[in-house]
Amino acid sequence: MKESIEEREIAGWKRKLIGAWVFTIPIMLIMYSGMVFGLEIVSMKWMPIVSLVLGFPVIFIFGWRTIKAGMRGLFTFYFNMDSLIALGSVIAYITGALHFFGLTLDYSGAASMIMTIFVTGKYIESKARGKASSEIGKLLELGAKKARVLRGKEEIEIDISDVKVGEVLIVKPGEKIPTDGVVVKGESSIDESMVTGESLSTDKFVKSLVIGATVNQDGVLHVKATKIGKDTFLANIIKLVEEAQGSKVPIQRFADKITSVFVPVILMLAGLTFINWHLFTQDISRAIGVAISVLVIACPCALGLATPIALTVGSGIGAKRGILIRRGEAIQTMKEVGTVIFDKTGTITKGKPEVTNVYSVAKGKENEVLIVAASLEKLSEHPIARAIVDKVDGKRPKGVKKFKILRGRGVEGLMGRKQILIGNRTLMKERKVDVKKVEEKTKNFEEDGKTTMIVAQGKKVLGVVAVADSIKEDSVEAVKKLQDSGYKTVMITGDNERTAKAIARDVGIDDIIADVLPGDKAKRVEELQKSGMVAFVGDGVNDAPALKQANVGIAMGTGTDIAIEAGDIVLAKGSLVGVVQAINLSKATFGKIKQNLFWAFAYNVVAIPLAVAGVLHPVIAEIAMALSSITVVTNANLLRRKRI
Amino acid sequence: MLVVEAAVAEVEMKKIKLTIEGMHCASCSSNVERSLKKVPGVKDVRVSVMTYKGFVEADDNVKEEEMKKAVSRAGSYEVVEVEEE
Repeated sequence: MKESIEEREIAGWKRKLIGAWVFTIPIMLIMYSGMVFGLEIVSMKWMPIVSLVLGFPVIFIFGWRTIKAGMRGLFTFYFNMDSLIALGSVIAYITGALHFFGLTLDYSGAASMIMTIFVTGKYIESKARGKASSEIGKLLELGAKKARVLRGKEEIEIDISDVKVGEVLIVKPGEKIPTDGVVVKGESSIDESMVTGESLSTDKFVKSLVIGATVNQDGVLHVKATKIGKDTFLANIIKLVEEAQGSKVPIQRFADKITSVFVPVILMLAGLTFINWHLFTQDISRAIGVAISVLVIACPCALGLATPIALTVGSGIGAKRGILIRRGEAIQTMKEVGTVIFDKTGTITKGKPEVTNVYSVAKGKENEVLIVAASLEKLSEHPIARAIVDKVDGKRPKGVKKFKILRGRGVEGLMGRKQILIGNRTLMKERKVDVKKVEEKTKNFEEDGKTTMIVAQGKKVLGVVAVADSIKEDSVEAVKKLQDSGYKTVMITGDNERTAKAIARDVGIDDIIADVLPGDKAKRVEELQKSGMVAFVGDGVNDAPALKQANVGIAMGTGTDIAIEAGDIVLAKGSLVGVVQAINLSKATFGKIKQNLFWAFAYNVVAIPLAVAGVLHPVIAEIAMALSSITVVTNANLLRRKRI
Repeated sequence: MLVVEAAVAEVEMKKIKLTIEGMHCASCSSNVERSLKKVPGVKDVRVSVMTYKGFVEADDNVKEEEMKKAVSRAGSYEVVEVEEE
């Protein structure tokens, strides 16, 4: 691959740096040997000539881009820091010539040093910036370059860009999965850590979905490509990270406002400084020197980079662990959040319910109850319905007519001439079905955290089917960690109170909101917001409105799908530990931003008045400026040391 | 309300990602941002000096050439890649 913009920029500054120092070192040697050791290699009288000659290439060749851009900015009113450096160094350079016309102080030597230190600072800064955004570079290189495709009976190796959707790719052990797809032949385990942050490898067999760029461990897989190019999981992650790094954090607004007027304000300040010094001291040389110091000490970079650099490092670290910060705003809001609301199904639990118990009112007719239930539920898309259908797999379900989904309550339909109802208590009450015969059993199931479906024929109750969705292994740990950090945890679910309480007890959650219809989740979140900011954790597919409503929406990636539009933070793996990590990462990143902004402000508030007061030599001023932006960038990189 | 919504829906908005070379400081990105905002059709711009990317939201009237010119007008910057969503 051809070198990136970043590498080109670093290489560019490096070239300038070498060139500039080659000419600046002799100037410094000659200047300081006279000043410090009294060795006059060149008569002091001719020193300006030396500085002007040796300094010319430094400023007008190696610094040409800065001079050109800076001077142009002065005329087009698109000022940037080049304008300050260009003006500062050119004025300093000219004093060398003016020396022969009566100016007492000569800053032409300083001119070269200013430019040289500037490019050196930029070189160091660009390298540190490169490091800050290194994770995205790694992501970009993660994708497979080649794929082995089965065409007819022949295996041929082709470029990844030539793979078409629907083609069957062969992946051998140790190779990368070329693109997103579905396994059509073979079995293997796959290391997905590079994209999801999940450290355990996942077993894959026929019909399993696989993610491009993950590594096949031990078996040969035939994978049918389902997504290519910019539709892949990896491409989406890269897009998310890039967008996040370009997004803004509200705290930055003030700094941005200052940055946008910074250069013109400094230009005016330098002018005023010059006039005042000249008026009060009558020393034009000194006035010029002080004005140059003001020009070169001021740097909008530290201020302007403070936030984006920390955000870049933070989102990079996150991406490596499968935590994708979509909106910079979220990391600021996160520190105000006091309550974390979890959706139950698919978030706290695995989202794959299984039938655990069947109870029949008529003795020994459990199977029939189940078949009746399965016959109706076969027509429903609900995950619980699927669990019931899966349970009777193989046994022929009966024909059903007039099937109807009763939202939030259950289903109904005609089996032959019999009216069948399956659903919760609300539905049974509505249809005046007497549930006394199953009441006890239902209660027991629910107290175990199971979801129950009462099956009735006409007004007669037939039995109960209990379904349970097991809790994810690390949900308990994650909830505990959140509580230890002072968060209130709430679970929201469509289950009835008894079931919800049982699950909450198992997971250790503080509070529950039960009996919530799917469409009402956002409303419940809104109610909770009245007593403070909340984060909502959901799977992103059904929970989009609630994710949007919450102050911070954390969407869980489900397997190979990633909910791009929902959530301020997206977790690539479906583990609740990711929520804890995301919160810690947000806090750490925001802390770094505040630190950076503080230092950048403090630097300018202290340094500029000192320069105006005339206590800083232009070269010292330039060194201080270079250090200020290097400090901010380096400090942001320290975020990496933080344990998330 | 309905009328307003219909009017908004008529103008197709698109997201364009520009890769910009030459930005090296924080005022660079704010200059590029300021210049791009003046391009006809552009509704929102976010430029990051960190990623060398500019994210532009614009309607169909926006012209690629105009955006490229606007970037160059703001200083010694150059658009090296344009991706449309």
